[in-house]
Amino acid sequence: MSQVTDDEIAEATEQLGVEPSSAIIGRTPWQIFWSRFRKDRVALGAAGFLVFLVLVALFAPVIAEHVVHHGPNDLYRETLSDIGLPEVGPSVEFWFGVDTSGRDVFVRTIYGARTSLIVALLATGVAVLLGIILGSLAGFHGGWVDTVISRTIDIILSLPVLLFSIGIAATCSITAEGCLGGLVEPGVSLVTMIIALFTWPYIGRIVRGQVLSIREKEFIEAARSIGARSSRIMFRDILPNLAAPIIVYGTLIIPSNILFEAALSFLGVGIPPDTPSWGRMISEASRGQLYTVAWWMLLFPGIALVLTTLAFNLVGDGLRDALDPRTQVTG
Amino acid sequence: MKKHLTIVALLAALALVAAACGGDEEEPAETGATGATGATGETAGFTQGGVVREELTDFGFTNGFDPTGEYLGTAWSWYQQMLIRGLLTYPGRAGAEGNLQVPDLATDLGQVSADGLTITFTLKDGIMFGPPVNREITSQDIAFAFQRINTESLIAQYGNYYCGTIVGMDCSAKSQDEPIEGIETPDDKTIVFTLERPTGDMIYRLAQPATYAIPQEVAGCFDKAGDYGRYLIASGPYMINGSDQLDITSCDTLEPISGYDPDKFMQLVRNPNWDPETDDVRLANFDGWVLNINSNIEDSYNKLLNGELDLLHGAPPAAFLQQYLTNPDLQDNFFSEEGDRTWYITMNLLVPPFDDVNVRKAANYIVDKAAMLQATGGESSGLIATTIEPPSVLPDLADYDPYATPNSAGDVDLAKAAMAESKYDSDGDGVCDDPVCDNVLMINRNYEPWSEYTPILQDNFAEIGINLKIRELDVSTAYTTIQTTENLIPIAVNAGWGKDYGSPFGFNFFLFNTAGDSCEGSVNYSHIGMGEDLAKECGPKTLAAWNAVTDNGANPLPNVDADMDACVALPTGPEYNACWAALDQKLMEEIVPWVPYRWGAANIAIGDTVENYQFDQSAGLIAYSQIAVTNGLTPEELFGA
Repeated sequence: MSQVTDDEIAEATEQLGVEPSSAIIGRTPWQIFWSRFRKDRVALGAAGFLVFLVLVALFAPVIAEHVVHHGPNDLYRETLSDIGLPEVGPSVEFWFGVDTSGRDVFVRTIYGARTSLIVALLATGVAVLLGIILGSLAGFHGGWVDTVISRTIDIILSLPVLLFSIGIAATCSITAEGCLGGLVEPGVSLVTMIIALFTWPYIGRIVRGQVLSIREKEFIEAARSIGARSSRIMFRDILPNLAAPIIVYGTLIIPSNILFEAALSFLGVGIPPDTPSWGRMISEASRGQLYTVAWWMLLFPGIALVLTTLAFNLVGDGLRDALDPRTQVTG
Repeated sequence: MKKHLTIVALLAALALVAAACGGDEEEPAETGATGATGATGETAGFTQGGVVREELTDFGFTNGFDPTGEYLGTAWSWYQQMLIRGLLTYPGRAGAEGNLQVPDLATDLGQVSADGLTITFTLKDGIMFGPPVNREITSQDIAFAFQRINTESLIAQYGNYYCGTIVGMDCSAKSQDEPIEGIETPDDKTIVFTLERPTGDMIYRLAQPATYAIPQEVAGCFDKAGDYGRYLIASGPYMINGSDQLDITSCDTLEPISGYDPDKFMQLVRNPNWDPETDDVRLANFDGWVLNINSNIEDSYNKLLNGELDLLHGAPPAAFLQQYLTNPDLQDNFFSEEGDRTWYITMNLLVPPFDDVNVRKAANYIVDKAAMLQATGGESSGLIATTIEPPSVLPDLADYDPYATPNSAGDVDLAKAAMAESKYDSDGDGVCDDPVCDNVLMINRNYEPWSEYTPILQDNFAEIGINLKIRELDVSTAYTTIQTTENLIPIAVNAGWGKDYGSPFGFNFFLFNTAGDSCEGSVNYSHIGMGEDLAKECGPKTLAAWNAVTDNGANPLPNVDADMDACVALPTGPEYNACWAALDQKLMEEIVPWVPYRWGAANIAIGDTVENYQFDQSAGLIAYSQIAVTNGLTPEELFGA
């Protein structure tokens, strides 16, 4: 994207003795982006859903306590049959029914949104940070730094993800403190660490590639020729140009990280049972064909997961279309 | 006219008689099974032939199906009911009768000398090993089984029932060939055991599969634990499919028998050398048995309902259990038998807050056992446990409930009263206020119904101020985690314990005796009786914990070894049972290592093809020696026998 600002255009136009024409109005890149994005109705709708989701997740404890009057871990065992099957489906008292422990599925679903969003955003944030740092280092310096980082990326990408996740989670489950002196214990921190560990290479590769190609452009050569230090080149010339691909790929990684967390929870690895998680709820509903008896346990977390993942994907697509100057935006 | 009528009547009568006699369609059975009599003397009139088809998610063998060390109840059932024979076996019946031995290779239950120190058995004639060994079983084959138990490298997992009891057995022999001083075989038909001291329940121990006849010419090739399992030579009515193809000319020519693949299946076919005349127990009605490994349990139950399988062991997932309990067509196909098994929460005497007996008592009062039973599937999954030994093993304690609460749902007031006595409740309000009660690690399994216990227990213990951090692991990891002493796991709910044999000693011994405690593979999870030497051996954390709890040895941990020795010396009978009942009470009221919550039922679901359902109380599975199947399948068509 161009680095030239409105003020600079105005100044240049003035210097040339030309009246700023009302026909051509300079816009900042962000203004350009926003007007393009605004025209994509689907992405806008998806973004609206995400805003709604974030609000629900933020206010989940309030909703649970003051609107529904059930906590996420309150056991209403009177709703269970003699053999422990949930007998209460969607009803006035339990909007999404109860699960096999007698817990309110609606409350657990909205709490599950917190888990999914926190894990996905946190893990993606860490992955993006790591990816930017290591990817730019690799792309900019080249040589042995690049070799070490690139090979690390290759190795991580070829690891059997689920096996490692299960192994790490089992190892960190053996003591109350978890691993690394309490820094990593089964739960949000462990899952976030695992997801970040396995997804930063994607960002790292992309960033490295972008840095490599930008590094060869003339304006970098120009900066170098006037004596700019490497760090200045990195921070002022290269990184800002990475903003677009990072935003796009970062947003696209979020849904896959949501699904990654759901998969780990489905396998019983990571998020402990008292923290509601859509993946775990789906897992509980699928065991022993429970959904044939209690379909609500499967449907609601399932729909929530699908809609959230879809929304992030659509927003990511919309972002990419809006940020990429080469694509035509209709409307 | 009268003459004609008489002739016609006579002819008619003759015709009727002829029709009655000629209408018999039953073919004489193969290999004489029809003529066999069961232990109760009935003549078997059951369908002959067919193949029993079963599935499991995993074999789960603890020792590769090698009888010398194999500790899995399922394996014991297959050994006793179908594959191999020893001096004594079990009759394949439910209830107390099913837990009593009957002679198998022996002519009687053994002749015990007046001083109780020697037991003599005489073997029956004409009992043979199956192919390819094809020879008569002798007393040396029994002695050889004990030599294998005695061999250190074979890791006989219940070897302590014999070592230290039979003269000359210490479970540390370097070779299977070493004879044992206390076991003599004066001739091929006689075997004499000499004991260190009178041992009342020795007869139970001599019915365990590790003691069954093993041919040295094959097993002698395997001196590492678990290896012989894939080469098992039969002596019962069935053998592993492909046994006859085994090349036994030398140890090097042996290849694993094709009919047993540890990851996929086990197939049994008839043993041609089995003579029903020598066998009072086994009816051997079917022609073959196949067990396939299927990790998808729902798939297995769907197959059973479709008629593609004949039976399944284990607790059905709740949705299927619902069908079996409510559908009138299925109700007769589902059984909940007394499982002789206790499911329990174990507490570690080395780890605060459970080093304080008052906290352990409070735990017994607070747990909502009714909810746990409901989560497990209700009454079909068993009874609420009120003490350690199940009533089917120790009937004396049927009404004993030292921590009774209304509806067995736990009682906060009683629990708080107990907690108030504890040193971790400084203000005596019944809620723990010491930091050791925060973040208390508890190990659980990660699948139903155990995963259902997590929210229940979290809730329960929170009421007395103990904040549990429950970690759910897969079943083997959970067990190895709590068996590794240095991990110092405070409390765990993943464990269950089934009797080894039907006497109370066979239930309790390894759980609470110092013999069951070790650094890796301990089953005395509470570490009752642990001494300084073992604490030092297990690691620095264990030693530190031990020193803290025992005040550097000044206040030793409670120990019940002497109590057990006193009970073991008694002959089996009412006095013996009373001794064990007293020990149970001492454990539950003074030492309190457990919160027992369920006496597990054994669940069996059968298809319509199964005839003569019987439950084998000794191993806790269906009595394969008694059942028949009407599916008319043959081993050839199913697995090319």
